[in-house]
Amino acid sequence: MISLGLQILRYDRAKYIAMVMAIALASFLIQNQASILVAFLGMSGSQIKDVREANLWIMEPDTECFDQAKPLRDTALQTVRGIPGIDWAVPLIKVDTNARTDDGKLRTVTLLGVDGTNRIGEPRMCIGSASPIYLKGNAIVDPGGWELLFPGTSYTPGRSIRIHDQWLTITGISNASPPFTGLPVLHVSDRTAKELIRGETRTTTFIVGRTSQDPDDLSKYISRATNWRAYSREGFQTQSYTFYEGQGVPMIFYITIAIGLTVGAAFTAQTFIMFIKENARGITMLKVLGVTHGQLAVMLAAQALMVMLLGLSLGTGIAAFVTESITSIPFLRGLYIPWQVVALCSAFMALISAVTAAIGFRHVTQLQPVTVFRS
Amino acid sequence: MTSPDSTAVSCHGIRKSFGTGDTKIDVLRGIQFEAHRGEMTFLVGPSGCGKTTLISVIAGLLDPSEGKVSIFGQQLAKMTSRDQILFRRKNLGFVFQQYNLLPALTAAENAAVPLLAAGVNRSTAVKRSKEILDRLGMASRADNYPRTLSGGQQQRVALARALVHEPRLIICDEPTAALDHKSGESVMELLATSAVHPDRAVVVVTHDNRVFHFADRITHMEDGIITHTEQNPKLQAA
Repeated sequence: MISLGLQILRYDRAKYIAMVMAIALASFLIQNQASILVAFLGMSGSQIKDVREANLWIMEPDTECFDQAKPLRDTALQTVRGIPGIDWAVPLIKVDTNARTDDGKLRTVTLLGVDGTNRIGEPRMCIGSASPIYLKGNAIVDPGGWELLFPGTSYTPGRSIRIHDQWLTITGISNASPPFTGLPVLHVSDRTAKELIRGETRTTTFIVGRTSQDPDDLSKYISRATNWRAYSREGFQTQSYTFYEGQGVPMIFYITIAIGLTVGAAFTAQTFIMFIKENARGITMLKVLGVTHGQLAVMLAAQALMVMLLGLSLGTGIAAFVTESITSIPFLRGLYIPWQVVALCSAFMALISAVTAAIGFRHVTQLQPVTVFRS
Repeated sequence: MTSPDSTAVSCHGIRKSFGTGDTKIDVLRGIQFEAHRGEMTFLVGPSGCGKTTLISVIAGLLDPSEGKVSIFGQQLAKMTSRDQILFRRKNLGFVFQQYNLLPALTAAENAAVPLLAAGVNRSTAVKRSKEILDRLGMASRADNYPRTLSGGQQQRVALARALVHEPRLIICDEPTAALDHKSGESVMELLATSAVHPDRAVVVVTHDNRVFHFADRITHMEDGIITHTEQNPKLQAA
């Protein structure tokens, strides 16, 4: 009876395709938008994640996330180094500033000054080596940054940018994670960074360190004992994520996901009911011939399952294709579809299909076999 | 004459009304009806006289307002609704005026539906239905879809569907009404030769007097009552 049900479904091609496409569209929208949301919010902690060696971050109390950091007093470093439980601590300079390229374009960039002594915070590299940044006047840029600064060109050593009347030569392409702001990420030495932002009274943005103790416990202790705010690495990532979430960034994605769900559910259910109504005579005839409600329920469940599996597979395939395609855009190169998103989407689609089949079954139970004798 | 144990269908005092109060309509008004094994019983009468309602009651698709229906000695009214369905699946075959074939299925698959409903596996069911279609001269069209078949051919497929599970009672509702005379004659010929069986009764509702000569017994209805029953002279002679 299951194959019979599927045959009946496939025969009504227009509705069959319409239902599959509705589920596919809903699956695509949900997975695509949820993945972008997860990626965007994940990007809020990109540069925190990139400082692999540190498990402790210390900052000004007004700092709400990585991208909205206020500088610390330069004496803070020594104080932090004196806190019991700190294995080591180094400064990390982070500042957003304007840069002009050698062909005259003006861009805002994120400048990260890496401690030249310990090289803590030095990024992994795509092209070239990070070492030249410790020489004066050199910088490395992330792939998205290169594309923004020198659009349409492949990396060539020796291109330069100017910040505050000082020229920086790009000596390599880093593998820095894409930032939430979408700005080019330039890594320079802390010495170069300080020269570029000379005039600022405070230059240290963060103090990153390591502890062998529980970083959450120690960060709480530091926050209590000093006037600063301290987080473990994961804690700071969560804080940055929460900050953007609180700014309403996810709302637009939630709306699109809700539209996907609503359209998928409404269109699939309506088309399935139309399918049942148009096949009412055939279904009634099956009842007359002795097909039980249980068998009809199995048929409808098989039809709904078939539509769900095809639609979900198609939607997931399209979402994967689109994700793969847009990861070639440098700032979205970290985009992927988390398995949790696929699982959640599958659960939603299964729910839509189950509800649709249940509504359809309710219509089927109301069909009166005796009507089959009416011509 | 028929012996009492040859009775396949027995209706006593069947009344069926629709609506209540001023809108109440009595469609069946005390029907006494019998159909016998090995016979083709025609139920004839003008449109609206209650023929279709009566076969709906016999098939267990409608509950009578009053009276008792026995099919092979069993009263459907005393069965649960599930048992009624299972009884119908096993013992009854149907032929409809509009064939009621499923357009998504081939002729063989359509004919196999009662077996599939009974849980027979698909290949066995289709094989069996092809054998029946072969007997009905439809072997070459077994893999055709209903839309590619003529009315007469579709009705033969419907006949195969009614026979495939070897039911003991076949109920036909105006089987020739949608067919031209030649096709109607051909379908009735097949019904008479293939469906009538010593252990099976066939009840045919019709008002097509061109096919009355196929009947073993003709029961006339008018305004919800049986007016009279006549027997085919051949049967009387036997």
